[in-house]
Amino acid sequence: MLRITGGKVYDPANGINGEVRDICIADGKVVANVEGGRTIDANGMIVFPGGVDIHTHVAGAALNFARALTPENQRVAAKFMRTKDTRMGIGGQTPTTFATGYLYAGMGYTTVVEAAVPILSAKHTHEELRDTPIVDKACCLLMGNNELVMDLLEVGEYEKAKHTVAWLISAAKTYGIKAVNPGGVAAWKFGKDAKQIHSPIDGYNKVNPGTIIANLAKIVDELGLPHPMHLHCNNLGVPGNVSTTLETMKLLEGNRAHMAHLQFHAYGGDDWHNMRSESVQLAEYFNAHPNLTCDAGAVLFGNAVTITADGPWQHLLYQLTGRKWGNLDVENETGCGIVPYTYKGSNLVNAVQWAVGLELLLLINDPWRIFLTTDHPNGACFWRYPEIIHLLMHADIRRERVRALPDAALSRIYLADLDREYTLYEIAIITSAGPARALGMKQKGHLGVGADADIAIYNQNPDGELMFRYPRYVIKGGEVAVEEGEIRSVKDGHEFVCQPSYDEKIEDYLKPVFQQQYTMSFENYPVEAERVHGMQIAECSYHKETRTGAPEGDSPRTTPPSGG
Amino acid sequence: MLKLTLKDQPTVPLEAEMLAPDHVAGLSLDAIKALPVFHGKRQLRVDDFFTVEGEPSDELEIHGDLARVKYIGRAMTRGQVKVFGNVGMHLGAYMKGGSIEVTGNASDWIGGEMTGGLIHVHGNAGGQVGAAYRGSLSGMNNGTILIDGTAGLEVGMRMKRGLIVIKGLVRDFCGLQMKGGTILLMNGAEIRTGAWMIRGTIISLKPIKLLPTFSFACTYTPTFLRLYAKHLATLGLTLPINEQDGAYQRYSGDSSVPGKGEILVWQPRV
Amino acid sequence: MGGKVSCTLGEVKNRADFILYWGGNPAECHPRHFTKYTIMQKGKFLPEGRKGRTMVLVDIRETMSVKAADIFLQVRPGKDFEVITALRALVKGNRVDTALVEETGLKLEQLQDLVDRMKRCKFGVIFFGMGLSMTRGKHMNSAAVLTLAAEMNAFTKFVAMPMRGHGNVAGADMVLRWTTGYPFGVNLCRGFPRFNPGEFSTVDLLVRGDIDAAFVLGADPGATMPQPGIDTLARVPTIVLDPKVTHTSRLARVHITTSVTGISSPGTAYRMDEVPLPLRPVLKSPYPSDEEVVRRIIAAVDKKTAWLPRPETMSSGVA
Repeated sequence: MLRITGGKVYDPANGINGEVRDICIADGKVVANVEGGRTIDANGMIVFPGGVDIHTHVAGAALNFARALTPENQRVAAKFMRTKDTRMGIGGQTPTTFATGYLYAGMGYTTVVEAAVPILSAKHTHEELRDTPIVDKACCLLMGNNELVMDLLEVGEYEKAKHTVAWLISAAKTYGIKAVNPGGVAAWKFGKDAKQIHSPIDGYNKVNPGTIIANLAKIVDELGLPHPMHLHCNNLGVPGNVSTTLETMKLLEGNRAHMAHLQFHAYGGDDWHNMRSESVQLAEYFNAHPNLTCDAGAVLFGNAVTITADGPWQHLLYQLTGRKWGNLDVENETGCGIVPYTYKGSNLVNAVQWAVGLELLLLINDPWRIFLTTDHPNGACFWRYPEIIHLLMHADIRRERVRALPDAALSRIYLADLDREYTLYEIAIITSAGPARALGMKQKGHLGVGADADIAIYNQNPDGELMFRYPRYVIKGGEVAVEEGEIRSVKDGHEFVCQPSYDEKIEDYLKPVFQQQYTMSFENYPVEAERVHGMQIAECSYHKETRTGAPEGDSPRTTPPSGG
Repeated sequence: MLKLTLKDQPTVPLEAEMLAPDHVAGLSLDAIKALPVFHGKRQLRVDDFFTVEGEPSDELEIHGDLARVKYIGRAMTRGQVKVFGNVGMHLGAYMKGGSIEVTGNASDWIGGEMTGGLIHVHGNAGGQVGAAYRGSLSGMNNGTILIDGTAGLEVGMRMKRGLIVIKGLVRDFCGLQMKGGTILLMNGAEIRTGAWMIRGTIISLKPIKLLPTFSFACTYTPTFLRLYAKHLATLGLTLPINEQDGAYQRYSGDSSVPGKGEILVWQPRV
Repeated sequence: MGGKVSCTLGEVKNRADFILYWGGNPAECHPRHFTKYTIMQKGKFLPEGRKGRTMVLVDIRETMSVKAADIFLQVRPGKDFEVITALRALVKGNRVDTALVEETGLKLEQLQDLVDRMKRCKFGVIFFGMGLSMTRGKHMNSAAVLTLAAEMNAFTKFVAMPMRGHGNVAGADMVLRWTTGYPFGVNLCRGFPRFNPGEFSTVDLLVRGDIDAAFVLGADPGATMPQPGIDTLARVPTIVLDPKVTHTSRLARVHITTSVTGISSPGTAYRMDEVPLPLRPVLKSPYPSDEEVVRRIIAAVDKKTAWLPRPETMSSGVA
């Protein structure tokens, strides 16, 4: 039992905006009242629901590939010494699993979503998530280039495709699906890409990226998955890609979708020399379409490692940088590419990318629909989020940074003209309440009675970076996990999975096709339930008429629905 | 002058990065004796392994067979280290300035990723002299390494600037993926010299085996060699530059990269 | 720089119309490889199977695998790096020295023909074996072939993959990566992981005698190490976990007999393409599994006073 008293509470899901009130905790949940137990005096502190990272890459075959490929990063990264309670590890761009748990919790984040899991190596991803302590986890299955599904769509078998998707999600034990460069990665298997939304994909007559996008969005909604289709659009990172992004968004009208790392998809111009920000155009469309959510995928200057299922893009980046390149194509499903990258303020392209991430966060006016991410470790490492929060809260500091960019960059970005400054209430939305709602995790991202007791308590400080980098306390599942910068409890978190229903006869169709196209026996393909540590099955209860986007709790309420 | 003498051979490697002028110069003898060294996983004190005598100073003498002692002079920026005996891996790694002299043999990775200073080994050296650590984009970025004896594999791997001189025979992959700087081979090398080099100069005073991706360009004595010869004379080394004695055959490569590196092979006049 | 450009074996089965084996003898060393994954299979995009694929074998001698090959290129021992480096130049249209090429045992025309075929294929794969990765040049030979495959992608689709064997070596590699950040050759003495092959890799530690105890699991270094390494194993306390009597167990102080993973105890093995496969036991064994023994050792060690690294360890930033 635990009582947090005297702190200013920011609980946007319940409309609480900086009121001083008590939060009571028993059995890992927020409750109305407790008698006895420890009391944390949070005077002079702010109380947030624990952070929720909707899009990150912290586990799985691709990240593990990146670790092996970049010993030079690990050598200079923060080291985690073994202690009585914690295990050794390495931070940096591609932290080891144990370090990942400590780093997230140490920043006040308590739930993370690994965004890209191939079915073929899902067993591996779950093993890594099992070794990621403290935080709760979920993951998205890579589906945008699955040939079993694409082949069904080619012959117009929508229902079969839907059952296949449901079967695959259940087999892989994931929470949702993600489509990465739909069709493009499949085309990459023969060295091609899919750049046009409406042109057939190499090897297909009918299926084009648009077919995949529209059908998957519909399938996800019909299966009632709590989280919409997670989408990494075609033409990531390429100048002029805003037209592809807008075209894609138009296809999604009538369905939900989560646009991943939107920053990488908001560029104008037609080559690297005249690339410019198109954040205004994109935000305008986005603001008018409440069926969509997105995460920023912001970029910060410094070293990064780009890791994505987008194989063709990574080959281009390898040719542009001349640095190392890792690629792993996964049979019939997806691919993965890795290229170490350094974002430089003096580089015009990087300067535009840096600005676009912040611009989208400032121009998309509903904080319930855009969330703080860096597409870790692609744009920057997740442990640098506090730097972005600081920039969002201070227009003058942003302008100062803009002045340090090359002159040529200034005419290509909008950042210096934007006056908006995030409030703490809005920061709580983009780091916790919003992503939890977009994920359909009702027990996360808020501090009302019945919520999971995942709480971050910060010393109030005008320097947002300092404040959010070093929480005073982090409570996970009701236990004090971090206290004054030290890890105190390393209890393992849960992993959330969805098990959408499907027609069991789909296995009769899948099995022979699988035996023909794969190199593993069909029985070995699904992930065994015992491999998923602390598995909790989430309901697939989304119905299309449910509103998405800005909920009624948009503006602070005067009377909160639940006391404390 | 500070003098350390190894008392007993460590049973497993001893990591002693504190044995560098920057760490010891400002300390009392007692404080120096208490500096940490790492024997396997155990943290011990300098005086568990060494007798410490003399005056605290940025001039450091270390006596004994230190073949198992790693990281001496790591990241040093000034002063002088003299090792009377053999020395272990990573000698002068990340070194920025000052000088290190070794009377015996040295092990692998000496001067790894160094950016300045001088290392002189009178005996033989191991592999990866002045090299990049695994995965790093570049190796030594300045400074000088002189080896009087032989050296091992991957000498000067990915080096960017600076000078490596080796009087004895060098093993395979000398100047691997070299990006700049100069390697002088007084007695030739085994195979794959200059493999995948992008830029930089390898000078060999003995004929060497070349990869098929190097092609003969011309025979001449480049002007910059005269400057180099003057510089090398200050280190006590003689580079032949007189036309009556011979000339250099220039090979350019590595065309697999493709690279703008050069290998100059001395051709004495007969 | 190069990197590693690879795929899972199903991609080879479904798409590879050009398969090159370098320094390996799959016909004898990986007997099911041809039929299950590569040349003999009918693939999604290769309905004709063997007829639709070209197979090239590069080795220093004629092995059983030659019979399966369309083209056999016999390279002189120790010249693989030279050949691959020349190929990298030819792929880019750069010049190479004809006489020096011929010292490798192959003619320039043969290399040019190989490059032309590589560029013409739709999906090429290079499998390389220990004949390449464990001979003179070692990791640089592997790097050369991986880089060649990476660079071929400027022309067509190309991947490369090592032919790994020896039990679950890929699995050990994977677990080490997520727990320590490095694939092998990891040192934990300072309380955090450090990596330096050549310094911390098993063979080097053993040959230099840099250890004072050894714990051997799922390997038989007593059979494969150079003699000084075997001498070190005999000198220090060596503990072996193995279902059988091995060269190493004979010279060990302690040999704990364990059940065979995959036959009598469950687990996960990683294929050479890093795809995890569940192992389901079919027999019962009276012996404990490796995992159970290791857990009991950890429990016993936990009863002792904990050794914890001290914060000063970090002070100098040695990594």
